[in-house]
Amino acid sequence: MNDDYLWDKSGEPDPQIQELESILGSLRYQPRPLQLAPRRNYLAPLASAATIAVALLAGGVLLLSQNGEASIPSVAIDTTPPARPKVDLPLSFASQPPIKRKPTLPARHDNREAIAAKQQLMFALRIASEKLNTAYRRTQTPSQIKNQHKAG
Amino acid sequence: MATANMLLLNPLANAAPEPANETPIEVELVRAVLEGDRDGFSKLYSLYAPLVHGILLARVPRAEVDDLVQDIFLHAFKKLHTLRDKAAFGPWIAMIARNRAVDFHRRSRETVEITDELRGSDKQEARAAEILELIRSLPDAYRETLVLRLVEGMTGPEIAVRTGLTAASVRVNLHRGMKLLREKLGFTEGL
Repeated sequence: MNDDYLWDKSGEPDPQIQELESILGSLRYQPRPLQLAPRRNYLAPLASAATIAVALLAGGVLLLSQNGEASIPSVAIDTTPPARPKVDLPLSFASQPPIKRKPTLPARHDNREAIAAKQQLMFALRIASEKLNTAYRRTQTPSQIKNQHKAG
Repeated sequence: MATANMLLLNPLANAAPEPANETPIEVELVRAVLEGDRDGFSKLYSLYAPLVHGILLARVPRAEVDDLVQDIFLHAFKKLHTLRDKAAFGPWIAMIARNRAVDFHRRSRETVEITDELRGSDKQEARAAEILELIRSLPDAYRETLVLRLVEGMTGPEIAVRTGLTAASVRVNLHRGMKLLREKLGFTEGL
């Protein structure tokens, strides 16, 4: 038995070891590229979050403004002064005429605009949700890449 | 014998001395990776993938080895900052590979005995699988060094440097392991 050949492949080759090397060589490591996890892209989730925030804000503002106009009390204001106990006021106050306010009526077109705004908001939310899903899927890619060679 | 094997397998106790006045390439590569150079890790991978492959091949089913090699290097990449002695990358990743093989058997016992089904139809490959099974039946210390020598084609000194074992330990493991393997194969010594 040639120990030197077994040790560092020097000296006279050992035929048995050579045979084993030849047979077992088929199991040798086959180089393949290492797939490290890609750098995490924090920009995409951040952009999605910003989109959602902007969409929510815009929708909220829109809804508030629509609702604000529509929700003004539509009751006609009684312009007649309430019965008050007779108080002696200074002449300057007593002589002023009562303030007349224009009565407001509910506007149907405001309601329609509110619904349209709501639909726009829902649409924006759907887009934002899609973007979030895409970002999530991107974060799941390392394991898929890692196991790609399984398919091949 | 078992105790002796465990001692021979302990890389920390038997770290191979590096050549004097020479910074091992691993140190530079580990340092580069820790500073953000991912290419450095690819070089470490190229250097040490055969070692990890051999260690796993000596312990787990062949079909699982390639995936485990990738997993181990990904794990090593994430945990590299925990490596204190940058020159000990080899012993470190070898230990990760051994531990991962133990984990594999602990978690998936049912998949351990399916190697027969996965043997190649090719005659040479079938013979290789048979011999590998015989090597796997040897004690830990012998089978690992034998696989690294006979399958991965590493020399004894290379095995010592990569695993952190002493050259003497590797030599003994190779010699005794080969003797046992010859007996199992029915080879006549000195043929």
